[in-house]
Amino acid sequence: MSIISADDNISGFFKTDPEKGFRLLVEKYSQKLYWHIRRLVILHEDADDALQNTFINVWKSIGNFRSESTLYTWLYTIATNEALALINKRKRNSSVSIDGLESYFASSMEGSTWFDGDAAEMKLQNAVLLLPEKQRIVFNLKYYDDMPYEEMSRVLNTSEGALKASYHHAVKKVESYLLNN
Amino acid sequence: MNKLNEIPGKNPFKVPDNYFEEVNRKIISEAARTDHDIKKVSFLSRYRNNLLIAASVTGFILLTYTGIKVFSHSDRNTKVSEILNDINPDSFMNDIDISSLESETTILPPQAGPDVSKKEIIDYLLLENIELSDIYEQL
Repeated sequence: MSIISADDNISGFFKTDPEKGFRLLVEKYSQKLYWHIRRLVILHEDADDALQNTFINVWKSIGNFRSESTLYTWLYTIATNEALALINKRKRNSSVSIDGLESYFASSMEGSTWFDGDAAEMKLQNAVLLLPEKQRIVFNLKYYDDMPYEEMSRVLNTSEGALKASYHHAVKKVESYLLNN
Repeated sequence: MNKLNEIPGKNPFKVPDNYFEEVNRKIISEAARTDHDIKKVSFLSRYRNNLLIAASVTGFILLTYTGIKVFSHSDRNTKVSEILNDINPDSFMNDIDISSLESETTILPPQAGPDVSKKEIIDYLLLENIELSDIYEQL
């Protein structure tokens, strides 16, 4: 069964049996959304909060889901917004300066129980953290999730051309960082 | 692009053991708690506009129906009670015996107007300097 038709099955339950539809949705998407959020917010505790908020928001607006948007893009849009809201909250409340927040995240990864990468992967994460916010999201969605530009365009409400350019610039910056560090 | 391709691109993050089973349970039970309030609020908020429109339309129809029934009755012999019966069959007017009301009512004969001849009217109009064409314009 394709992703779309499996999602149609799930969204079909939203009207007849919303509890069942929601349970199927959580079971299918919680991991994918968690990793997407985690790559943006870095810390497990933050990703955990944002994931739960994402699904509660999904549940609250489950009756408003329109089939013209796919379930997959709808969920990624809500998850991305939750992650960004959390990052902005951290920026507002943190004693660390905004410019220093990336290095704070980077140092949080080092020695963290919940970081499993080797030195090269750590370096890659440090390079990604230095990207501007939008480029970071585009890079993660393409590099790790291999999301097609068409889907990404719906999630981020940005033209495919702009996304391709954004990914190209992000890769160049990451490459440059990896070469020089 | 070479440097980036050298890195396997696997997910470098970890989660606690059984994290996803636990978080799924937590999310579903949290949603179940949120469920009831949302349904109550969302029913009212979702249908509030429709209810207002329905109430306005019903009110308008009732007013129009009443207006037509009361003002467009050309049959002067129709009794008031018949009209009221059409509007509200349970009206208190049903308890009143209309025939007794009619017998108790003194009907005055139509008042006779002053006996004025056509000639006198024309003389009056001429005296007041009113042209007949002005009268026609007003009609």
